[in-house]
Amino acid sequence: MGRILIVDDTMFMRTLLKNILFSGGHDIVGEAADGAEAVARYQELRPDLVTMDIVMPKVNGIEALKAIKAADPAAKVIMCTAVGQEQMVKLAVKSGARGYIVKPFQAPKVLEEVKNVLNA
Amino acid sequence: MKSVPVKVEHEGRWVPTTMGIGEDRIRIAAPLDREITYKSVVDLEEKKNQVTITAGTDKDLVYRIASVEKVLSVLKKFIITQASAYRLNAFFMSPAIRGGVLIQDARWEKGAIAVMKTGIWFVGQETQVCIPLADVAGIELTSREIQEKNLDVVKIDHLIENEVVTSFVLCPMTTLQVLYNFLKEATQDSDVSEELDPLTGQVAMLVYSGMDSSAIENMLKLSHKDLETVYDRLLGTGLAEVLYIRKEVQLTAKGVRYISNAMKSSSN
Repeated sequence: MGRILIVDDTMFMRTLLKNILFSGGHDIVGEAADGAEAVARYQELRPDLVTMDIVMPKVNGIEALKAIKAADPAAKVIMCTAVGQEQMVKLAVKSGARGYIVKPFQAPKVLEEVKNVLNA
Repeated sequence: MKSVPVKVEHEGRWVPTTMGIGEDRIRIAAPLDREITYKSVVDLEEKKNQVTITAGTDKDLVYRIASVEKVLSVLKKFIITQASAYRLNAFFMSPAIRGGVLIQDARWEKGAIAVMKTGIWFVGQETQVCIPLADVAGIELTSREIQEKNLDVVKIDHLIENEVVTSFVLCPMTTLQVLYNFLKEATQDSDVSEELDPLTGQVAMLVYSGMDSSAIENMLKLSHKDLETVYDRLLGTGLAEVLYIRKEVQLTAKGVRYISNAMKSSSN
């Protein structure tokens, strides 16, 4: 089970992910609503894994991912975005993302992906 | 013609028999005693270890055959490549996304697609995937980056055992357009015309994600009665169906006595 930081600009999606991850026995150590906050919260909390939305105000998820990986190359980040933005996958993978979730998602698969990334 | 043991449905019962599999037909032994040419097949459906073949000459005849995966795989390949169906050569990727999680090692596979009465079949060197039209949840003509190029693809969202799976088809644009139009028309009954209010939309999203009623009530701070009203809206629009009805109970005097006694004995 992991200590997880959830990054998404909508409270609804953060709450949904929090519920799913909590039901899988994970510890939600923090939340952030934009990329800049995500980088700051990562430095402060050093979670085992981050779920990162891509499209966010101020600093987007890809930029935040790059900043987190620059500070901690071992960081485990799963990118999370809406249907139709799967084209971002290559960029995210190139930038060091370990997994990719497309919204809308289903709880069992999300938990499986989180487990895989945590155990990798 | 190679003969293999199978079971066939005959007069409502499964009966063991043999089936010869040839290059252009199968021959089912007694009690069916039938020969079915692959080109007369108009539909092929699949359940676990079982296929349903509909062959239409003057009238449609339905055959249900059960056997081991290896036999069914050979049979399906012959039927899909020769049946009376709209067929095209294409590349496909199935599944590409499962339950919202991108499958990172998903690969494009070269093969054939056969559009049959109740489903669409992908057949590759190693893969045979069937998407029943009734399980198609969405079709979109979109583009995808393949080998550094943006190419047009058909994206199909479909259900496999309650999991939402996304598959992609890639072929020349004219063929793609035909496939897209066919699928759009074949699944137009499940097109969504209803506009949902924000709360009903949020509840639908949570149900999609796998949340149960009590999790939804907690997340959206809804009473049981309010959630029931939203569920009724989803049921009324045909966007949801009842899975089961949960009971809420209160203790009778006998139940209260049982708990009181249990507490007494545990505190002694």
